[in-house]
Amino acid sequence: MQEAVLKVDGLKVRFKTEDGYVSTVNGVSFTVHEGETLAIVGESGSGKSVTSLALMGILPPNGEVVEGSILYRDRELTNLSKKDYRKIRGNDISMIFQEPMTALNPVFTIGFQLREPLMLHAALNKQQAHSRAIEMLRSVGISDAEKVMGRFPHQLSGGMRQRVMIAMALSCNPKLLIADEPTTALDVTIQAQILTLLRNLKRQSSTSIMIITHDLGVVAEIADRVVVMYAGEIVEVATVDELFESPQHPYTKGLLNSMPKIHDVVDELYSIEGTVPSPLEMPTGCKFHPRCPLGDSECAKIHPSLESKEGDHLARCIKVAKKELVV
Amino acid sequence: MIASKERTVIFEVKNLKKHFELSKGMFKKQKTIVRAVDGLNFRVYEGETLGIVGESGCGKSTTGQLMLGMLDATDGQIIFRSQDLATMNKEELRKARRDLQVIFQDPFSSLNPRMTVEELIGEPLIVHGIMKGKELRAHVLELMQLVGLREHMINRYPHEFSGGQRQRIGIARALSLNPKVIVCDEAVSALDVSIQAQILNLLNKLQRELDLTYIFIAHGLPAVRHISDRIGVMYLGKMVELAGRDDLFNQPLHPYTHALLDAVPIPDPKLRKEHDLIEGEIPSPSNPPSGCRFHPRCPYATDKCSKEEPEYREVLPDHFVACHYPLTEVAKRPVPSV
Repeated sequence: MQEAVLKVDGLKVRFKTEDGYVSTVNGVSFTVHEGETLAIVGESGSGKSVTSLALMGILPPNGEVVEGSILYRDRELTNLSKKDYRKIRGNDISMIFQEPMTALNPVFTIGFQLREPLMLHAALNKQQAHSRAIEMLRSVGISDAEKVMGRFPHQLSGGMRQRVMIAMALSCNPKLLIADEPTTALDVTIQAQILTLLRNLKRQSSTSIMIITHDLGVVAEIADRVVVMYAGEIVEVATVDELFESPQHPYTKGLLNSMPKIHDVVDELYSIEGTVPSPLEMPTGCKFHPRCPLGDSECAKIHPSLESKEGDHLARCIKVAKKELVV
Repeated sequence: MIASKERTVIFEVKNLKKHFELSKGMFKKQKTIVRAVDGLNFRVYEGETLGIVGESGCGKSTTGQLMLGMLDATDGQIIFRSQDLATMNKEELRKARRDLQVIFQDPFSSLNPRMTVEELIGEPLIVHGIMKGKELRAHVLELMQLVGLREHMINRYPHEFSGGQRQRIGIARALSLNPKVIVCDEAVSALDVSIQAQILNLLNKLQRELDLTYIFIAHGLPAVRHISDRIGVMYLGKMVELAGRDDLFNQPLHPYTHALLDAVPIPDPKLRKEHDLIEGEIPSPSNPPSGCRFHPRCPYATDKCSKEEPEYREVLPDHFVACHYPLTEVAKRPVPSV
């Protein structure tokens, strides 16, 4: 097994709201290994995005990490000062977001925004930073890089802006790239271009990628391992092949079955009943049991732990643990 | 799908165009014309679901709005049940609009936050003076049951519902006037996968029970394939291909359709492959390329493609395409110079 770049253990995040404290991430643990692409999948309210914000140390002011540790190569991140976190964010971990327009500064040129981190974190002078920035833009498939350097974000298309974001995120050779729904706002042909770019990036460098997405198609295209989240918890962890071939948790199965398939048309789609519970009204026991086809009185009482089914394939379900589950 | 003999045309769209004029520059002196929809020809048959797909800026939503009579066409005709929408007088248009309803993408912004479920679903009936009082409430409850909302929710406000339930309210509202046609404009795009499946199943059920015709506009191809009988593919204001859904997916004739289908991520890691990427970005509809609008991105484009606009024609039965070199004729195509 490759060396761990990031180790998250028992992470708990809560938000202060008008209705009191609300926990949105409840004891999440996973590891990102060197050179691997880990996908975190879940629907809205699963806590996947909050997890990534917590890792980057950029939770909104009313949110806080209450428990757990985030180890970046033996360095604990949860107790870092703002200043030290900023160093880690530029040099070691970087992030790309769903909507690059909100992440880029609208009043500075692309060139200025690309040069800045290079001069700050890599200690290059302006000239060096400029040529390095152009190099970076070319590497993400922007052919007229010199021209783009002088443009402002609003003058670029969505796909172009996402490329610029990726170039910026990679400019200081991070060890870990966190990509939060990087292709969700893009058209499908542009999405294919960006996914290919990320795949090539992994081939050419040792950068680990953690991709957060709701789209199982994107997961199948790009991930090595997958973490499935539901209502603030991890419900299943597996390699991408195992997850799609033999999903264990009823929620994962439901998600896979409810996707309309492009090559396989069925009359009626499988659908998971009900909706994701609100963090204020969490069900007791297994959080999925009110929507689960196998949920019974036992599931309402026992909160299952994440157990190994086979090797590294983990699932949080008492039925799976007891092998009662009929496929 | 309905057999071709017994199909009744409910919509006939002829050479439909919608151009928007934008002003920019100092004193707004520069005028640019955005050709959002630029010459569409197609039919919609009663009881079918016609899917319309395409990427941003292709004009699919504008097409939907034109067919609902929400926008006036710049040129061309939209014939709804043998009458042109543009020549209808006010009263006729009002009647037509009862038969033409819409479900929007965003159930968060399309429902008035100050209205209860009862008011939201009942409003169209009051506006058209069809029902009131107890009769109305009973009808609203019936509609709620039809779309899977529980009775006790009738006095709640939109913010008390999740996205999927709000979309159900939107559907009940659209159904309240007993329409013939519903335009679903990205109706499931904003929903989570598990909720999307619920809504797609609901739409299918309603179509069977109420004999509805759907025009399903979306960018998500798997959902469109699931629900449609026939699918039209748009690119920069033009319909580039239209065919039965299986024909379109199994044998795309237009290079753009091929690229679009190829780009959809397949939820099976064993089928992971390199994509046939199409280069470049979608050009602006205010300055579309000459000839075939796809030619700058098309791997097979020739000189002819940059000069002559391809005719939109029926090359196979019920399979329309606008391309000089449709993909079946691949052998006849000049070798692309690399």
